[in-house]
This record gives sequence, C-alpha cells and structure tokens, in this order.
Amino acid sequence: MKKLLYILISLVILAGCEPKISELTPFRGSADFSRYIAVGNSITAGFTDGALYTTGQANSFPNLLAGQFRLAGGGNFIQPVVTSEFGVDFPGSDPRLILGYVTDCRGVTSLGPIPDIGPKEPLGPVGYLVNNLGIPGAKTFHLLVPGYALLNPYYARFATAPTNMLIQEIPLQNATFFSLCIGNNDLLMYAINGGAADSITPEPVFNLSLDAIVAACVGTGTKGVIANIPDITSIPFFTTVPYNGMVLPRQTLVDSVNAAMQLYGLPFTYVLGPNPFLVPDPASPHPLFKVRPMAAGELVLLTVPQDSIKCFGMGLISAITFLPWPIPDKYVLTQNEITAIQTATTAFNQKISDMAALNGLALVDMHTKMQGLQAGIIWDGIRMNTRYVTGGVFSLDGIHLNPRGNAVLANYFIESINAEFGSTIPYVDITKYPGVIFP
Amino acid sequence: MRRFTILLLGCCLAATTAFSGGYQVSLHGMRNIGMGLIGTSLAYDASSLFYNPGASAFVSSKFSFSGGVSLLMARTTFQPSNVMNQYHIEKIINTPLYFYAAYKPLKDLSIGVALNTPYGNKISWGDTWQGRFLIQDLAFKAITIQPTVSYKIKNIIGIGAGFVIATGNVELHKALPLEGQAVAEGKTTITGNATNFGFNAGILVTPLKGFNIGIDYRSRIDMKVKGGTATFDVPASLDPNFPDNKVDASLPLPANLDFGISYEIKEKFLIGLNLCYVFWEAYDSLIFTFETKTATLDRTASPTLYENRLIARLGAQYRINDIVTVRLGGYYDPSPAKDDYLNPQTPSSNQIGLTAGLSVFPFKGFSIDAAFLYVMGFEREGTYSPDNFAGTYKTAVYIPGIGLTYNF
Repeated sequence: MKKLLYILISLVILAGCEPKISELTPFRGSADFSRYIAVGNSITAGFTDGALYTTGQANSFPNLLAGQFRLAGGGNFIQPVVTSEFGVDFPGSDPRLILGYVTDCRGVTSLGPIPDIGPKEPLGPVGYLVNNLGIPGAKTFHLLVPGYALLNPYYARFATAPTNMLIQEIPLQNATFFSLCIGNNDLLMYAINGGAADSITPEPVFNLSLDAIVAACVGTGTKGVIANIPDITSIPFFTTVPYNGMVLPRQTLVDSVNAAMQLYGLPFTYVLGPNPFLVPDPASPHPLFKVRPMAAGELVLLTVPQDSIKCFGMGLISAITFLPWPIPDKYVLTQNEITAIQTATTAFNQKISDMAALNGLALVDMHTKMQGLQAGIIWDGIRMNTRYVTGGVFSLDGIHLNPRGNAVLANYFIESINAEFGSTIPYVDITKYPGVIFP
Repeated sequence: MRRFTILLLGCCLAATTAFSGGYQVSLHGMRNIGMGLIGTSLAYDASSLFYNPGASAFVSSKFSFSGGVSLLMARTTFQPSNVMNQYHIEKIINTPLYFYAAYKPLKDLSIGVALNTPYGNKISWGDTWQGRFLIQDLAFKAITIQPTVSYKIKNIIGIGAGFVIATGNVELHKALPLEGQAVAEGKTTITGNATNFGFNAGILVTPLKGFNIGIDYRSRIDMKVKGGTATFDVPASLDPNFPDNKVDASLPLPANLDFGISYEIKEKFLIGLNLCYVFWEAYDSLIFTFETKTATLDRTASPTLYENRLIARLGAQYRINDIVTVRLGGYYDPSPAKDDYLNPQTPSSNQIGLTAGLSVFPFKGFSIDAAFLYVMGFEREGTYSPDNFAGTYKTAVYIPGIGLTYNF
C-alpha cells in the first residue's frame, strides 16, 4: 500500500518531465564557413522595395545564411551597414516603397506602392572591410571594371580603393567560403527598359567575366555556392499588368472603338471586357499608325503609367487626340525581346552549371526554383507564389525579394550547400520573416 | 526514496516514448482505467452503462452509482525537421469525468443514465511557434448523456441499448501570414457549439460462471457546428477581405466496435482482454465554411485522412481481501494518422498505455477507486503535407484519477 502510494506520487511528479527528442546537430561537412563572403548584385546586397535600407539589408539572404553558418562554425559576417530605413542618398536614388493607399485618376482608392520619404543614408565609404560584396545594379562584367566605384555609389561605399575592380576586393577577406549570385542584371537592365534601352550582355563577355569572377572567388581552392539565373520574365515586375488589360465595360464604347479603328484603317476588332493593349509595331504595313495589339505571352511592365491607361486612353485611342496611342516600347516586352532574354538565360545558365561542375561548387538552381514558385509553394502553412503583393515573397519593387522571400532563398542555398558538401546546416525559420507589410 | 529517484531518471532518459491517438478519450471508470481500460465484458457497477449496456443487467445490486474524475497532464515536445529549435508544450490540464447511475426495478432489468466525456482534445502551442499558421491553440470537448435500458435472460445473455445525446464546443486560434503596421501578424479565432445524437448497444454472454464475452457498438456522431463565430484580427487595409463571420464545420465522433472477454477465478482474480475497433475513417477532413464569403475567404478544408484502427487492451484485477483490490493493465493504441498527414492539431503517434489501480472498500458495496495511467507514445516524425509542415513529435501523458462507487 505504502509502496503503491510512492509509485503514484513519483509518477505525478514525473509529469513535470519533458519528453526528450534529440536536437539537430549542425555539421559543416567538407566545407569551412569560418570566413564567408557574398559576391553578387542587388539580391546579395539586400536591396528591397526599390532601396537599400536598414531592415532590408539585415534580411539579405547572405546575412541570413551567415546566421545559419554560425551554427556550424561560421564567423562574423559584416555588411556595409545602411543606418537609414529610407535608403542610400545619391543623385537619382529612388525612394523606398511601402504599401499605402493610392487614389487613381478616376478617384478610386486602392492599395499600391507609395514612396516612403525620409532622411537617407549620406553617401560615403563605410571604412571597414565587408563580407557582403553585393553591388546593386552590377552586371557580371562590371566586377572587372577598374574604377567601377566611381560609377556605382553602392560599390563606392565599401571599395577599399576607388580604382579597385570588385574582383580585387575578393581576396582581401581571405575567405573560406563564398556565395556567388550574379548575372541577373545582364538581362534585367535590358528587360526593365522594355528592351528599348540597355542591352543583354553578349555571351562571350558573360563567359569571360564569369571565368574571372569564379577564379577570384575560388583562388587556391575556396569552396562556395553559385546560383543560376531564374526566368526574369516571371517576376511580378513583368507579370502584374496583363497584356489584355484594356477593359471596355460597355457595348456602346466597344462600338465606337471598332468604328474608330475601321475609320483609321486598322483591322483590329474589340469586344466587351478585356482587350489587348496597342503597342508600337515598326513592321506594320499601315502608312500612318505603326501599331498592333499585344499578343498573349507579351508583357507590360509594372512601371507603365496606369493613369494614362485608365483615363487617357493609352494602349487604345488617346482621349485628347482621338488617335491610336500605343503603350511606349519601353514599358513592353515583346515576344522577340522575351525570346532574346530566355535564349541568353539558357546560355548563361549553361555556363554557370559548367563553372559549378568544374570548380566543385554547390549549384542553386534558381531557374527551376522560380518555376516552382510560379506554380506556388507552401511552407509551414504559408502559401507563396510570384504574384505581386499577395504572393508574399517579392517586395514592392516587383523585382527583389521581401524578408520572407529572402528566407526562402537562403533555404534554397542551404539545401544545395548541404547536398554538395555533406553538411547539415539547419534551415531558416521562414515564419520569423514578414512578407509585404500592409497598412 | 531510492525507488523514487530511479523512476525519475527512467522518465528523463527514456528515448523512445510519445503520446496521443486521435481525440478519443477512453477514461470512463476508475476501476476500468486501473486494468488497461477494459470493460466490455465486465459487470461490476454502473460503468457498464457506457462500456456495454448489455452487461448492466448483470450488476447484482439494486442501485449502483459510480463517478470519478481524471487529471490529464500531457507534455509534448516538437522538433521541426530542418530548423534549429525545439518547442515544448508546457502542460495541458484536462479533467475528463464520468458519472453513472443504474437502478434495477426488476431482477433482470436495469435502467440507468451515463454521463461521460468520451471525446476531447486540448492543445496549446502558443502564438510564436513555427506552426502557428496551422494551429496555435485548440480546445474541443464533447459531453455525452446516455439514458440506457438493459435486460438479461436466465443469467446467460444480456442485451442493452442507450440513446446518446452528445453536446460539445470547440475553440480554435491560429495565426494568418498577413503582416501589418498596427497588427503585427493576423490571427483568427473560431468558436462553436454542436449537439447531436447516437446510440450505444451491447450484448454480454456468460456461457460459464466467471467467463464473460461482451460486444458493444457505439455509433458515430457528427458534431455539426452551425453558425459558429469566426473573428479576424488583420491589418486594417485587409479588414474588408476578412469580415467577422458565421462559420459551419463538422467534426465526427467515430464509431467504436468493442469486443471483450474476461475470466474470473473464485471472485478473486480476474483477467480480461478487449479489442476495440475505432472507425476513424469518419474523420476525413476538417472543413470550415464561412457565411460571408470574400475573394480571400471562402471554404477551408484540411484533409486528415484518418484510418480505422484496432486497439488491444489487457487487464487484471486481484482482490487481496474484502477491503483492498488492486489492478494492472496495459494497451496498445495505434495512431489513426498517416505519416504525411501528421497535424500539430492532433500530434498523434502509436502509444502504449500502462495502468495501475486500487480500490479500497471501507464498507461493503462502497469503494474509493484510484487509478494511474501513464501513456507513452513513440517518437514520431511526420509531415502535414497539405501545409508542408514537418517535424518530430513526442508526448508523454500522466493521468491520475479518483472515483467513488456505491452498489447497494
């Protein structure tokens, strides 16, 4: 009886005892994360919402990666810290975007990106060696340009000498591990100008540049990870405004548009509801109006002036001149331009794969990951895709990732690193990182 | 004192234990709990009203009352599959209870009423954990009331049936991945009540003195919440998308088919076996349908795809003297959840239960019954694939309980 009571009492007390599960054991595998550097462009720098600002930079994917590396022997990771939440100040620098209420020309108020104006970080060298060598705006060959710091204020912030090529900065850290995420801007700068300005980096230039950059990173055998280039035409900057966004809400309007087109000798028929926008077409046989309707698959840029479309007839017939008014070429990616981008992407990615294989680098297949994201992914109950704002991973500039997107990206890197080097770096808890902040 | 220490170490070092099997709570009689939760073939007191209405006509006394309460203490540890963190649910306290009253107006006829809490689930992960977009806190409790009639023929066969009225309520909190300036993170609360009906019918056969065979079937009851309340706390700009709402949902209480066999030697020693088949397939998915629909708010369906399971239970009782009776038992309860549908709402794993019990009879017919149930599950790694949430769960449950029985 007494014994039994003892057992009962002890069992009750045991209720305070937690069930034990063995914890994760982070292991560095064959890699050495003690001195990690990140080489790349705006994505590496932590650029987001159209600016490089404090919290965006703190959530850069290399900074998140470094945090995970620290669980397996990683060391300090120093970024060229921006102390302003409004961006870096230089002539022509864009403001940071936040989600706010926008009233359009029709008086309709809806959620949209608005500039968040405040005191920006004054330009000037940070004066210390950094691990994050990401330069917003940098193309592959820019990293080989002497004096690039004079052209790019973001690089000027951390270049140890204004004349240094970026690849001369790489050996200074004596890194044991690197990440390289470069090449997006070789296509993007062309794409965000609608193919009307800038150009796609020629393949030989890309190849030679990548050879030099990888050589600088690898040095005498430094291990690292390299990411390939996603299909940039699948990001919200290009997919948010539909090609057939010209909505005709009334039949009377449809009839007058059709009558006008007939009058101008343009063989385009309009229907009730959505219709393709008009875009310039230099090859048009028409003597006056070199226009055509957009084809399915062609893309309108996020920066297209929405009010001109909604209230002044851009993409259809001008409300002022009553003449056909195409969306300017710089806001549109035509099928030919898209094909050129995708062809170059394939070629660049082939080169990146070759370099990864040749140097024993882990390869992050961002091209495939982005396709997955386009279809939609779900982690820890959070549904994400590539849609603007609601997709949850892209920032308000429609190009760069928000904190949660960066956390997902960091996990893609960890996945590849673990697979290549036999390491067991734990993943970032993506639920700790917010998506787009709503008012 | 030495035994005490060894037991303490034993718990903390045990490497392969965990808990939970769906949301059925099988604590319906302190005497039964003591001997591995068996009861289908027993006819000692009014708890037969629940375990097998066919047996209650075999209870010898004219009146039988039995009541009791358990203190359910569970601790769960969760290790996400790839993230360096562990979560511990501090302590969940639940108090499943039962009360039975049976009366025999005739020698072969018994009528009675049973009150139990056969289904329930309570879990509290908190509002900062990694799985908060699946579940933060959940409390679900159903109480059943069962008026019952039982009749026996020639001390050989007894049949009985009860009408089951089930009433329950649910409260659920979860986070929504919507971040804002004023509201840091969205969340929703859903509450509702439901009442529905079912039945409990059983047969007891005693081919030889002391040898009992029992079969009992308790029907499925669908707890249909109509017009429950759903509230949302989201950033102001998203309020129009998430209007406070009425919500419909349905949670099935699965049917049970129990088979029991027991043998009693000289009213001193009893050994019994129970096989309980739980029709968990009834729980296919948890669906919430909102009355006021918006582009972002319509119907949410969480598939659960539970599978039917057989629980095996074994128990024994030994009457030391007229005053003290002791009991021991154990059971194996396989989890109804598949590995790829392991949900933190009900972190279910195969479990082993070990029980011990004691009755003290201060005077004839009256007993104070105590029991202790220790449930150890197996550490289980799984993913709730619809939400891509993966990790390893482990739970231990300690359930002391006390009850009174009076037969006269």
